[in-house]
Formats: sequence, structure tokens, C-alpha cells
Amino acid sequence: MLLPVFASLTLLVPPAPKYPADAIAPALRENAHAVVRAFDKVVTVKSAGQLVETVHRVVTVLDEAGSDDYGREVVYYDALNRINYLHGAVYDAQGNLLHQLRPAEVHDQGLGSAGGSLMTDVRVRYADLRQPATPYTVEFDYEVTSANTLFYPDWQPQHDENVSLEGATLQVTTPTALPLRFEEQLLPAGAASPPVVAGSQTTYRWRLPAAPAVEEEPLAPALSALLPAVHLAPATFEVQGYAGSLASWQSLGQWVYELGKGRDVLPPALTAKMAQLLVTSPDPRERARKVYEFLQGSTRYVSVQLGLGGWQTSPATSVATGGYGDCKALSNYTCALLKAAGLPAYVALVGAGADHADVRTGFPSSQFNHAILCLPLAGHGTTPADTVWLECTSQTEAFGYMGSFTGNRHALLLTPEGGRLVATPRYGAQANRQQRRTDLWLDPSGGAKATVRTQRLGLAQDRYAQLLHEADPEEQKKYVSNHLRLSHFTVTSLRLAPAPGPALPGVVEVMGLELASMGTAAGRRLLLEPNVLGRLGALPNQVGARQAPLALPPAALYQDTVRLHVPTGFQVENLPAPAQFTTAYGTYSSTCTALPDGTLQYVRQLETRRPGGGTLPAAKYGEYRDFRRKISQADNAQVVLVKTDA
Amino acid sequence: MSYLLRFYRLGWLGWLLVMGAELAGASAAAAQTLAPPKPAPVPIRFGQPEPADFEAKNFVADSTAPAVVLCDYGVSQFSSSAGKLTINTERTTRIKILKKAGYDYATVEVPLYHREEDAETLSNLRGFTYVRGADGKITKTKLESSAAFEEKRTNNLKVRKFTLPAVQEGAVIEYSYVVRSTFFDNYQDWTFQREIPTRWSEYRTSIPQVYHYKVLYQGYGALTVNEMNTGSVSLILTNRLSEGAGAGAGMEVGTTGLTMSTEQHRWVLQNAPAFREEPYSTTPNDYLPRITFELVGYQFPNEPYKDLTDSWAQKNKVLLANEFFGQALAECKFVRPLAQALVAQHPDPAARAAAVRELIMKNVKYDGTNRYHASGSLKKSYELHRGTAADVNLLLIAALREAGLAVVPVLLSTRRHGRVSQEYPLLEQFNYVVALVELPDQKELLLDATEPLLPAGVLPTHCLNKIGHTVPASGEGRWVSLVPAQRYTHYQEVTLALDAEGNLSGQVREEHSGYANLEAREKLQQLGEKKYVAELAATHMGWEIPSFTFNQQANVGQPLGLSYELRLPAASTGTATELYIKPLETFAEQRNPFQHELRTYPVDMGMMQQEVIRVTLKVPAGYTAELPKPAALLLPDGGGRYAYSASSPTPGTVVLMSRLTLDKPVYSAQEYHALREFYRQMLAKQAEALVIKKAG
Repeated sequence: MLLPVFASLTLLVPPAPKYPADAIAPALRENAHAVVRAFDKVVTVKSAGQLVETVHRVVTVLDEAGSDDYGREVVYYDALNRINYLHGAVYDAQGNLLHQLRPAEVHDQGLGSAGGSLMTDVRVRYADLRQPATPYTVEFDYEVTSANTLFYPDWQPQHDENVSLEGATLQVTTPTALPLRFEEQLLPAGAASPPVVAGSQTTYRWRLPAAPAVEEEPLAPALSALLPAVHLAPATFEVQGYAGSLASWQSLGQWVYELGKGRDVLPPALTAKMAQLLVTSPDPRERARKVYEFLQGSTRYVSVQLGLGGWQTSPATSVATGGYGDCKALSNYTCALLKAAGLPAYVALVGAGADHADVRTGFPSSQFNHAILCLPLAGHGTTPADTVWLECTSQTEAFGYMGSFTGNRHALLLTPEGGRLVATPRYGAQANRQQRRTDLWLDPSGGAKATVRTQRLGLAQDRYAQLLHEADPEEQKKYVSNHLRLSHFTVTSLRLAPAPGPALPGVVEVMGLELASMGTAAGRRLLLEPNVLGRLGALPNQVGARQAPLALPPAALYQDTVRLHVPTGFQVENLPAPAQFTTAYGTYSSTCTALPDGTLQYVRQLETRRPGGGTLPAAKYGEYRDFRRKISQADNAQVVLVKTDA
Repeated sequence: MSYLLRFYRLGWLGWLLVMGAELAGASAAAAQTLAPPKPAPVPIRFGQPEPADFEAKNFVADSTAPAVVLCDYGVSQFSSSAGKLTINTERTTRIKILKKAGYDYATVEVPLYHREEDAETLSNLRGFTYVRGADGKITKTKLESSAAFEEKRTNNLKVRKFTLPAVQEGAVIEYSYVVRSTFFDNYQDWTFQREIPTRWSEYRTSIPQVYHYKVLYQGYGALTVNEMNTGSVSLILTNRLSEGAGAGAGMEVGTTGLTMSTEQHRWVLQNAPAFREEPYSTTPNDYLPRITFELVGYQFPNEPYKDLTDSWAQKNKVLLANEFFGQALAECKFVRPLAQALVAQHPDPAARAAAVRELIMKNVKYDGTNRYHASGSLKKSYELHRGTAADVNLLLIAALREAGLAVVPVLLSTRRHGRVSQEYPLLEQFNYVVALVELPDQKELLLDATEPLLPAGVLPTHCLNKIGHTVPASGEGRWVSLVPAQRYTHYQEVTLALDAEGNLSGQVREEHSGYANLEAREKLQQLGEKKYVAELAATHMGWEIPSFTFNQQANVGQPLGLSYELRLPAASTGTATELYIKPLETFAEQRNPFQHELRTYPVDMGMMQQEVIRVTLKVPAGYTAELPKPAALLLPDGGGRYAYSASSPTPGTVVLMSRLTLDKPVYSAQEYHALREFYRQMLAKQAEALVIKKAG
């Protein structure tokens, strides 16, 4: 009788605690909301067309701020990526098991539609193990089988601020016949082990030691570019029967080009319509512009991404009939239209987005998320040869303009001979210009009415162009109101209109303002800061020593002229002294003068520069901050008016 | 629309309703017997766009809109599908695309819910895009089935989506589909306005008088048409044996044909402008004109009327019998030992209630989902340490009871879920439950255990939606005000010294209480001390904070305090005989929160506010200050006040007091202008410069 009782007692002995929170080194708790205890990734390449990724992730959540990001796990999957399992467990601070994730607690959800996406097969599975009491530790294990070997997993165990790392490993096993390509990013010495060959397989291993939490700093590159990582890519791969090689940009481009081959056939009527342009518009640039206008007037961006459709364009005929497509389909379609108009062009892949890191050029791999078009133009008459870049998903973008979304980076041209990495256009300070003229009528109580005309060109107009084309007047007014650095005002009128410069798109904004307390009454005096709208915000103070490199915004030119109409009965008592200074980061000047007609004219100009290609060592931050501080001070220049005794 | 909050399933005890012909036939049959008035003409004929819709001059007034709904027409009626009774809603929509920004309106998503054997399905999807060419001819492009998709979004929700072809500026798009539903307790509702102007929105319903729905209309204006009459339908009813028949229950025992009267409604709203969401509002649903339905009862032939919702007493009874509410509460005996341990420790009921709340918060984390019924077993939630608002607060209620306290659940609707109507006893307008503890001294305490950063008795901000309703053990229950006694209170005590160069330096002590306390604590939790202070410095021009300390960080029941050293270097260097400084402005609100001139619906802050700033300024030796005039501002109707004063208690010292008090949680649209102006004048006063002159 006793035996079964003992047997059940032995079963009741709790398992040994795992990952107790007090085992975490004090240095790893500093500034940390969570500690990655382990991040072990095993990638097994099964064949050119299949790989298996296994992840074991253990995180101790130290406080509530780390809970939402690290107490949950989200795993994406789609038609080409299958989740084999998702397991989880959560432990208390002492490392005792609190709960084992049950399959019924794993949620499955479609991604829905966002940003013009009509349909995608990407879905998520997610599990929530957040706990009411911190610290606690979650452990997640999952495995994904991928039939999309164009992409190999990346490994970056630490990628957020305020999260420290205790240790992490990466192991990749691949048939020796399918060699692994990898790029190490900022790895500490000794992180990599030499590859081990066993039979027909080769195994690569990396290990990261403990690392303290880091913090994001203003004007710094993304943390993902500042923390250790290993990027992986195949040498050869196969997706849905399409084999390719990543030996070079040429071979990647070749593969994508072949995928789209034969999909550029247009309906005959459309071909004829385009061919007609050869007659009506002999100038190639003009002809290209006509084709682009036709595209913008008759199509729109709608994305349907299913299976291989994420990489293969849908045929030009489908765009011709439906009038919509995704970036690949619209670029392919435009390429076909241009070809029919006697203008051979190339589809190009690009990593789009204002914050998207540029391509790591030394590591050919699929680093792109968007397609655009590149059109080399031969010289015509006195016009020299040129290259025109086209964004085919926008119905409003200016012909040939590559703004903050796709400009100033590398793109992969897809040519019949394969891929070629080329630079997209970059615009300098003179191109990115904001010119403003403000007329300010002050009344004796400090109130004012103002009319403001602002012209923005190049990158300075990107947001305003979007506002002009996509927002209604009410939304435009809201946006503009929310971005004025003024305490109380009424926008009495606002009009946005296209105002292109000779080579670049532009938007002009004409605004009427009522400023109820523009000037400050102080006894008989009226004080006011004539730099009504052009103030540049100050940089946040640096706490501790600057760690990250300094990433400067694009070079730009800001010009402000303010004409101040002094109320009758007042005269100028004091004008601010002129300011003028030049540093490596730019040139600033401001003057305030009394004009013969009794008005005051304030003129401010700031031209920012981008020395060193825009990224400078951390030590330069102090110098740059001083530059900004001087600007802030000068921007606050004050005019004092005084009531005349009459 | 939420189909998740249903407790009862309609039992087809006696009859299954099977409608013979489709409605056209049915109403023809009805005409023979009842002779209803001539039906209003159908406002839209699918496939026949109006020539006027292609004339630019007809859209001059819509120059600001990206698209215009020309007609949105829905007809909802009972029908049968494969022997099963359904509600069929046919919707036909025609939209004029005016600008490229309006292209998104050519992509449509239709959510389709399903739960157990009840489901919504979409059929008869048709669509066309019409474009008038330069030659005046109209080209018509058909919506192909390849452009329609179905996404399985969650376990209860599928989304049918489609996009119309060949869309361009000036095009007219048109689509039509039928949604069949077997959710009889959730008759299809209708919203007449959306974010683009709507020329004509019409909804017709025809409901056999077997079903009794309460029709609720909300909106700031009257409908253009609101008609009701009666018709009739011919029905074939299948007899079934009732549940009482034992093994034979549900068996078909022949059919009966009969004619049944219908209640028919027609509602139209013409020329609804574009709707916009504003700050300090709850949810657009509170402000959009809408028709919703609540099933209140049904009566099958030769059976007594079955009342589903006649009183709060009955609603409460249903709720208390429900496995995810009353029964779930009853099955919480496992908390007894934990709760009873607190009884001896805390003889005072209020302290005990707070301790019980602590116990629940320590053990169960709110997962962000708002419900008023449990997601499953409460014991399981307790063991998982995680649950919905209902899981957490039902556990709280159960534990409070086990601790010997008198407690009733209070149902409420969160701000994003929308307003509650006191007119009808409707359960589905709620999505949240909290505890009401009745203390011996006639006092009451509203308790919620989802937000550990709040002390006991203060509801989270999302609960501040005016009223809730109790669920007592028996009886009607009552409405309970959710307007909090706590304000959003921010207090700043500033001591600064000015030197002859214009540099300011000193100490600031600030305190956040009430809802400001919650806001500051949330921010502190997310950012940590260092970033919190860095952000504070960054949002004020020129601020330097060399040192700081937080107070009462661990005790959420006390105001969060922050004391810091502050340096404000002068903009220019050198001494001056006259200094102009604005010591108040930098500590006050920097912008008028009411940027926009007009407001069409109330400013709903949810709580009252108070903002006090007291600045003591020491002027440099040999200088004197000109004191600004005091000011007092009042909002009409006791809405609030602002007081400003300046004094010099001792030579060389200036004291500035600024006190803002807002005494209403909600200001009507009519009060908006006064509120905005009040803020303007206050900001102007706070921005007034102090003139400090060298004596002599």
C-alpha cells in the first residue's frame, strides 16, 4: 500500500528552478527592462529549397515596461513558411514553473489590410505569458520550416534599447555542397568558431557573450545597425521550382528578372496607343513623361501578396484590365508601356522608407522591399543623356523624383544580363529648400494678424506633397496647426498648391494667421520675437557620454523673411543684434533692421551641411549640439517696442 | 457589431419559421390581404448609373471631399435558405470617386462573424466601375470574382474583401451584396454617415411580428424620412416537437401555412456631411447617426409571448444565471482562504477592500481585453495569472464577497465602446464590469483591479464614461455615476533666483495627484526616471536639470512627487538694466489644447482638472520688479475658473500664483468657444513678462 504513495510523492518533487532572476549580474540589470537570458537559434539547411529554423528564447522581464514586448511571442508564417510548433513556459522570480503554454492558448490571426494591402497570406501565431508580478521569466521555443530559401534568418539577439543580453548562440548546419554565406556585424572577438565538417554537412557556430543594455540617443543610426548581428544568405537557393544564386548582385538580379520574364505583354490596343506617342512626342523625356502621366491617371496601388506572388510580378495584362497592382506589377507594367513607346527601362529593387537602412553592398542578398523603375534616356537635340527614376505606385509623385522614400540609396537594376547595384538620386542643400515670407501686422495690445507664404522644394516638400494630394482641407489645416510652434493662434486660411522648381517638385503654402498674443505687453512696452515660424527646436541634453555615432539629417536650406508692421503709437526701442556664424554643420545668419517705411524686416537663413556623408563619430556630437544651441539662442532674438508719448 | 456578448440562444421550441417566396412575392401576397400604402420607390437601380453623376458641376460643393457616397441603400428582411431561417440584408452602394485620395473607397471589407452554428455569409456580390470617356460614352468594367478574397482574421471573424477595377478620378463605382445572418438577436444595424459626404443613405426593414425588436436611433439631427407601416408575409411554418417531447424533440411533424403581419420601417438621411473625429471624444459611434436593434421578445403562433428583456430585474436574473457571469462568480470558492486571511488583518472594511484588490492585482494581470463576462473559468485565469477585464474584476468581486464585504457588480461601457442608453435595459451596450462595495457608513467604493498604478477607489481612465448599472442579487438594480471625485491635479512649487545677467536657477517641486498621478506614473513606468527627466528637460527650451528625486514612487495612493534643480541660462550674455522674464510660462501648458475653431460635439474629458503653479522669484540685488495686474477668468455656468496674482511679500521677492480649475468633466459643443477663449486668455496671462529694472 505504501509503494504507490511514495511513487506519487516522487512525482510531486518540483522540477529544478530555471533562470532565477537573482542569478542576473547587476551590470545587466542597469537601465534594463528585460534581460535576454538565452537566444539560441539553430538553422538547418535541408536542401536548396528548404530550411528549418529553431529558436529558443528566454527572457526575464524585470519591470512592467518590458512586459508587453518581451512577455509575449509572435511568430509570422505564410504559404511558404510553416510553423511546426510554438511552445512556451513562464517562471517566477525564483525560477519555479508557473505555467506551461497550452496549445489552446496560442492565438492565430490574419494580418488584415493596411496601407493598400488587399490580401496577403501572412498570418501570425502569438502567445501571451505576461505576469502581474515582475520579475518573471518566459521561455519560448518554436520551429519554422521555410520553403523560401531566398531569405535565410538573421540573428541579432539584442536589438532594442533597455534590454541586456546574458548570452546567445547561433548554429547553422548546411550540406557542404550548399555553402553558407554570412556577414558578421560588429561581433566581439572570439564570437565565431571555425566551421566543422562532419560527413556531408558543415556546421557554423557563433556565440555572443553578456552585454549590458543600451539606450537610443538623439540623431543616431538605428540600434539595429549598432548592435552585433550575423546576416545569413544562401549561395544557391530554390523557391517554388525557381533556382537561383546569390553569388553576386548580378545573379540575384538575374533570378528576379527571369521570374518576371514574359509577363510584360500588353493588350495590342495599349501597345498601339503607346507606339502612337513615338509620333506625337519625339523628345524621349517628354514621351516618358506622357507615359508616366498615363500610368498615374489610370492605375492605383493595391497589393495582393500570395505565395510566390510576393516576389513574382503579376502580368502586365492584369494591370491593364484591373487598373491596379502592387509595386512589382505597376513597375513591370510601366516598363512594358515605356518599351512600347520605344523607351527601354529597367525595373529596380530598393529598400524603401525614410528610415530604411541602405543596402549592405558587400553582401549580395535580398535586402529589398519595393520596386521602382529606372529609365536611361539618350541625349536628344541639345538635351544631354540622363537617367530618370520613376515611382510607379504613386498617382501624384513628380516625374523623375525620388524623395525620402527611395532616394539617396542603392537599388538593384534588373537587366537581361542580371542585376546591377546603382545609386538613386541624391539632393543637396540647395535642392531641399524652404523659403518663407511672413507679413505681420501687430496691434497695440500684442495681437497680430499674419500672412505667410512658404515654398518648399525637394525633400522639404515630401510631407506637404502628401498632405496636398491625400488630405482634405480640414485635415491639412489640422496638420499644419499641429506643427506650428505657437502657443495660441487661429489659422484663418490655408491653401496648398503645387509649385515645382525647375528640376524638383515643390509645394507652396499660403496661410492666414491670427495670433492673439504675439507680443507680450510689459508696461508701456511690447516685446516680441520676430522669428515667428522659423524656429528650430533645441536638441535634448546629452545625459552621460555620447555613445552612438552622429547621424545628421539631409542638408537643407531655410530662408525666412518677416516683415513686421509696427502699430501706430509705438516705436522701436531695441532691435536684436545681427547674428552670423559658420561651422562644419552649416551657416546661420539673422538680421533685424528698420526699413525707411517704418516696418521692421527680420531675415534669417540657415543652410545645413552633412559633412562626412552624414555619419560622424560620437565625439562630434558636442560640437554639433553647440551649433544647434547657438541657433536656438539666435532664434529667440527679441524686439522691444515702446509706446510713444504723444 | 459584436456577436460575442450573447447569452441566450433562441430555442425553436414549437415552430421553425420557413418563409416561402422571396420578399417581392411575399409583399405581393401581403398586398392582397392588408393593402399597405404604395411602397416608396427604390432609391437606386443597380447597373444604371445616373447621367448626373458624371457631371462635374454636381460636385462643386464637394470640392474638399475625396469621394462622395451617392447612395447607400440597405434592405433587411427575413427569408429562408436551405430550410433554415435567415435575416437577409442586401446592400447596394454607389460612390463617386472625386480624387486620387478617394481610391481607398474602391476597396471594401465586409466583416462576417460566426459562432457555433450561427454565421453570417456573403453572396450575390456584384460590382461595376463606370467611367465617362472624352467622347461622352460610359465604359463599364465588371468586378471579377478574382478580385474578391476571404481572410480568416480570427476564430470568430472572416473578412470578405474586394476592390473595384479600373478606378480613376471621376469614376462612379457601385457594388451590391447580400449578407445572410442567423444571429436573430442581432438584427443588422445601420450607420447613415461616414468620413466622406453621403448624399442619400436609406435603410428598410421588414420584420414578421413574431420578432419584437426595440429600435434605437441616435444622432445629433433628425432623419429625413422615418416611416413605419405594416405589411404581411405568407409563411410556411414547420412544426417541430418541443423539448418536452423527450427523444422526439425537434422532430418535424408536418407544416402549417399562414399569413403573418410584418412591421416595416424606412429611414433616410439625406446629405450627411463628412464626419470627423476630434480630440477629447469617446468613440465616433457616439456621434454618428445610427439605427440599432435589440431583440426584446418573440411570439410564435399559438404560443404565449416570450419576453426577453422586459426589465432590469429579468436581465440581471439572466446574467446571474449565466455560466460566464453569475455562475462564474459562484464558482470562486477557491479564493475563500486567501480572502478570509485578510479579514482578520483588516477589520476596517475600506482597508480590507483595498487589500483584496491588491491580492487580485498581484495575482492576475489584465491582458487589455474588455469584456463584462468571463472568458472561461475564473480559477483558470487565477492560475494563469492573466485575464480580461471581466476575469480580473469578477475575481475581485468574488474575493470581496469572500472577505465578508457587501459588493455588487457594476456594468459599464468603456469610452471607446461608447455611450450607454438609460432608456432600455440593454446588456450589450456594456463591455466592462467593476465592483461596487457598500461600506457600513453609507459610503460606496467603486473598485477595479486592472490598473496597479491607481489606488483603490479610482477607476481607470477608460472607465470614465458617465454611468454604469448594478447587478444586484435580485431586483432592478440602479444607475451609478462614474464621474470621479478625483481630478486631474498638477501642482508646481517653483523657487527661482534671477541674476543680473538674466540667468535663472532654483528648485522645483511638483506633485501629480488624481488622474495626473496615473498619467505621470504610467510615463515613469515606461521611461524610467532618467528618461522621464530627460524628456521633461527636452520639452522646455533651454532647461538644464542637474539633479532630481522622485517621491512616493512606490506608494500609488500618494501623489507622485518630483523635485529637481533647474537652471535656465539667459538667451544673451552681459548684464542689463532691464530684464524681461516670463517665469510662469515655462511651467504652464505651452499650447492651447483647443486648436480648432469649431466643434460639433462635446468636449468629453471624463474628469475635472486643477493646475496650480506658484513661483517665488528672487530678483538680483539692486533691482525691483513691476508687478503684473491680477486676473480672474470664469467659464460660464460654473464650468471653471482661472486666477492669477502677483505680489511682493518681501522686498526683492516676487510671488506669482496661477490656478486653473475646470469643474466639468464634459463641456458641450456650445461651450467650446468659451473654453477655447478661456484658455487663450489664461495662456496670455501666463506668458506676461515681468519687467525687472535696476533701481535708480
